[in-house]
Amino acid sequence: MTSRRSVLLGASLLPLVAGFHAWRAARGGTTAPVVIAMRGTPRGEQVWFEPQGLWVAPGQTIRFVNEDKANVHSATAFHPDLYGRERRIPQTAQPWTSELLLPGEHYEVSLQVPGVYDYYCLPHLAHGMIGRIVVGTPEDVKWTQEDYHRSNRPTGLPGTFPDLNDVLATRRVPPRK
Amino acid sequence: MLSLSRFAAIAACSLFASCAYSGDSAAADKSPPPAPYAKVSSLVKLPDFIPGLGTLYVDPATLPAGPFLGYDKDGKLSATIYMIPMDALSKGTAWNNLKTGSTQVDSVDIYYNAGHPGVEEPHAHVVLFHDDGARQRLESK
Repeated sequence: MTSRRSVLLGASLLPLVAGFHAWRAARGGTTAPVVIAMRGTPRGEQVWFEPQGLWVAPGQTIRFVNEDKANVHSATAFHPDLYGRERRIPQTAQPWTSELLLPGEHYEVSLQVPGVYDYYCLPHLAHGMIGRIVVGTPEDVKWTQEDYHRSNRPTGLPGTFPDLNDVLATRRVPPRK
Repeated sequence: MLSLSRFAAIAACSLFASCAYSGDSAAADKSPPPAPYAKVSSLVKLPDFIPGLGTLYVDPATLPAGPFLGYDKDGKLSATIYMIPMDALSKGTAWNNLKTGSTQVDSVDIYYNAGHPGVEEPHAHVVLFHDDGARQRLESK
């Protein structure tokens, strides 16, 4: 169990880490993509994103990799422009989708606008295959009240997003199984 | 991704196919089975060979339940699969007189599936293996 102290300590270090990444990006430096795996049991009883919650600095490249040998998956932002879903990404951010990825395929996205991004898998939304990426820290001037207070459940759909404070504290939140 | 409307169109078209598969097992022993059966990976984005199920063919008019015909890597009919939506089942929908790819059945597996293109809602897979080596052949990498 994560203590309140460690949560505060972890969150307090994030601006330093975010600042380093932002500085490196500004200098034209590169960092390796951070991987979010799409996984499932061999017969498809369970499917999930690993990690389900992820913290990154603005501009960090995120690579979604389908590691499920028997199924296809997508990573699709909650946004009205994509299949008419509710918007659950920052207001000024561009929506994104990998579309369907076959086993072994991958998709990369770089999220520039700080804030909270919620996404889902197209064929497994009814099963609750959803995830959350937190970009930057609450100290970023572009964070809005909406980012702070986004609910942990998609409206009218199954599944629960990792709590914002858990993502900020641990940087990687494993999936609920 | 193949939309529901596209699926409906394919299903409607297949109703008028001139060569409807009768369920005669001999006709489906080797892949590909006769029309209106179509390879699932040509209808939706799925792997050609799915471990545990094989290379799948289905008559789109029978979606979502099927039967889906599962072939091993040598093209031998190895399983018949039905995909039964849990929500519809719990609300009283019944599927009766479903055809089989073969009248010989060695064993049956029934398990939950979270969904995939073509049958996206959570459903049950009912898998009829047609001989005692079928399960192993369909699991082959």
